[in-house]
Amino acid sequence: MTMTKRMLFTLAALAVFVAGNAAAADLEAGKKKVQEVCAACHGIDGAAPIMPEYPKLSGQYPDYLQKALRDYKSGARKNPIMAGFAQGLTDKDIENVAAYFSTQPSVLATMH
Amino acid sequence: MKRFVVFAAMLGAALSPQFAVAQTPAPVPAAQPAATMAPAAAPAGNPLKGSQKVAMCQGCHGIVGWRTAFPEVYRVPKLGGQNAAYVVAALKEYKTGNRGHPTMRAIAASLSDADMADIAAYYSQAPLTTASK
Repeated sequence: MTMTKRMLFTLAALAVFVAGNAAAADLEAGKKKVQEVCAACHGIDGAAPIMPEYPKLSGQYPDYLQKALRDYKSGARKNPIMAGFAQGLTDKDIENVAAYFSTQPSVLATMH
Repeated sequence: MKRFVVFAAMLGAALSPQFAVAQTPAPVPAAQPAATMAPAAAPAGNPLKGSQKVAMCQGCHGIVGWRTAFPEVYRVPKLGGQNAAYVVAALKEYKTGNRGHPTMRAIAASLSDADMADIAAYYSQAPLTTASK
């Protein structure tokens, strides 16, 4: 009986783990989307934007990047170039792209 | 004279962001007298002066992983090492209302163009401290 209980517990823990991973961002999908949509201006890893007015994105916090993309998409943040790109992204794309940029090597840091 | 007009038009096109999206920006040839005719460039910032103007930034941007509590919860962006021109552009967007965070709008409204340039110059330096991942 204790054996069955322990097994059930293990199974439940495994299920939670798997579900958690499924909900996590997909870095490969993010990379693909970045190559299609973002890389031409921000660079493939987000570290080398082609214009000084464009931000470096590599190593930036993913929740901030998601917030920026959601705001461009909704129009809360007004930028004609980014509005066009953000409107082509689903919520899942936004999550994946943000995760991808945030995990790239970066020169960005918190400055005191 | 005609040649000058053509050159000015090309310079204008080269400076417009839309053009640059499609094309890698060519290095601007040095010592072109007409370059002074281009739209006034942003004032060059002074990082030292900037370091004296960031007191109100550091309460959030100077703390690794700091989260805004209002109107949404997310970590405030890392600014160390960011492009100076982007930081200026972002501050101007807050000042004009094209970007809507209440605290950032209030702070940006209090900054002059020179303040923004100095602050941007300060943050764009190679980060001196905590590289957080």
